[in-house]
Amino acid sequence: MKDVYYPDIALIDTVRDETGDVKTLRMRFKNPDTQKNLSYRSGQFFEVSIFGIGEMPISITSTPSRKAFFELSVKNVGLVSAALHRLPTGSEVGIRGPFGNGFPYEEVFGKNLLFVGGGIGLAPLRSLINNVLDNRDNFGKVIILYGARTPGDLVFKDEFKWWESQPDVTMLLTVDRGDEKWTGNVGVVTTLFPRAGIMSKNAVAFVCGPPVMIPFVIRDLLELGFTDDTIISTLERHMKCGVGKCGHCCIGHKYVCIDGPVFTYHEMKVMTE
Amino acid sequence: MAVVSKIKIKNASITKDNLLKLLKEIVKEKTLIAPVQNELDDVNFLPVGDAKEICFEYENTATSPKEFFYPQYECMFSFSGAANDNIEIKDNNEEIVLFGVRSCDVKGIELLDKFYERSFEDDYYLSKRRNSVVISVACSELNEQCFCASTGTGPILEEGFDIQLLSNGDGYAVQVGSEKGLELFEKYQNFFGPEVKVDTKKQKPQFDLQKVYNNLKEEKVDEDFWEDMGQRCQSCGLCLFLCPTCSCYSVTDKDTPLGESRRSRQWDACYFRGFTRMAGGNDPVRNSAEMMKRKYQHKLCQQIDEFEMSGCVGCGRCSLACVGNVNWLENIIKIERAN
Repeated sequence: MKDVYYPDIALIDTVRDETGDVKTLRMRFKNPDTQKNLSYRSGQFFEVSIFGIGEMPISITSTPSRKAFFELSVKNVGLVSAALHRLPTGSEVGIRGPFGNGFPYEEVFGKNLLFVGGGIGLAPLRSLINNVLDNRDNFGKVIILYGARTPGDLVFKDEFKWWESQPDVTMLLTVDRGDEKWTGNVGVVTTLFPRAGIMSKNAVAFVCGPPVMIPFVIRDLLELGFTDDTIISTLERHMKCGVGKCGHCCIGHKYVCIDGPVFTYHEMKVMTE
Repeated sequence: MAVVSKIKIKNASITKDNLLKLLKEIVKEKTLIAPVQNELDDVNFLPVGDAKEICFEYENTATSPKEFFYPQYECMFSFSGAANDNIEIKDNNEEIVLFGVRSCDVKGIELLDKFYERSFEDDYYLSKRRNSVVISVACSELNEQCFCASTGTGPILEEGFDIQLLSNGDGYAVQVGSEKGLELFEKYQNFFGPEVKVDTKKQKPQFDLQKVYNNLKEEKVDEDFWEDMGQRCQSCGLCLFLCPTCSCYSVTDKDTPLGESRRSRQWDACYFRGFTRMAGGNDPVRNSAEMMKRKYQHKLCQQIDEFEMSGCVGCGRCSLACVGNVNWLENIIKIERAN
């Protein structure tokens, strides 16, 4: 019996330290056919198992436009994530999914895209950013605004240069607290808004970050002319199954694992906890 | 494939003697699960070896029959080593007949069927359900803690059952309502007699479900009401474990003494603290009052929207069990009267 609770086995090929507590694991399914047939949308997630420890949902940070592998960025916060951090390359882990709805992609062809990320919240956005940049002609102007607590907490630093170098891309960084080497902006991510050249016309904003960041970003985006339907974010909830059964991520009429994790601001407003 | 394929209801009858004989026959071929009274006078569903063990005089069983399709602890698969492909999932082919289920619990199972069939199908539940037939026995009148007449889930069902028995004193009127029910009925048709008349008068509801739904949806209930309930609730989870429609679970990996490891799921409850807490400590459900409200809205609002039936089936088990004296029926009536 093969069912939705049965994990496939994947191998960890490389481990990259992003920050002191975030690692990016590049993986591929042990069965080459499973890897070849893998199809997912940016914004979807996997349920990742370490057998004997447990399972956790992790958003896919690689882009579906690059096929040979997939990547997960993991912050060390709980039981399973701590165990994932201890695994050396070559280790086997269990993977179920992809689950969740994912970001709109074809739906935003031709639009100007604004990405606002905070901390590890850049992980799901990175998938979409790279997917957009790999298919650059399908989209308008791209603005990427990213903030973290300190320069040492910025993730995916290796890719910033490539993002900036792509046609018609504006990329701005900020940190809450600088250090002796930091010459960039200091302040929360919304302090980047005035000089980013944001136009809300024909635009969609993708916002991912810590819960404390989201309301401020949304408030400023609404002032800039974005609407409830052109602000798109993701929700994070405790999850076990990923398939709408265990009940932990239920918010009102929605199950974050199957109806989300991507929601428009309009959808989020009408949810009752 | 739907678990219950409805058919046009077929009417028959069965005498008390023949019912016992029928159950004796069923025991020979299938696992029969029926109400059994223990030495403390509790009546519960148990597998029976002989139909003589079955208790026929009871209001309702202490626990709901959901555990036969969705056990409190269930091994999902076993594995060995840190991580490997030797994951083994066992098929479940045991055929069971569940006898003596009350209408509220039949409706509870119907809601679980709908829940487990939607979007991702849950084979652990559905495989057990597909191999089961439910013979329900409708209550003749409402028991003290019950309110199925208000939730549209009893005491006599119009549809959604495999086989429904209605007591008429000497024996039972029999209604066959599904293909699975018909298969069993035809196999044992010698035990059944012709259609008989039976009193099916409706019971008076204690509240108007539509009004309760509206008041919850429009958030007309005072926050004080939820806060009072939050203070009474001791987070023991008993109401949710006894509830025929509650289905939340947690998942754990455990080693067994034989060197095999298991991933299993076990019942969880949204009234347990930490149910929604994430790694890192953030909990979107901020306090007990929110926890209380979440459950009422889930069962009496959201599940009505999603499944077109009440998520509360009016069995009243939660009220009987609560150590903090939280009474569902009283609370629902308060919600109905909120303005």
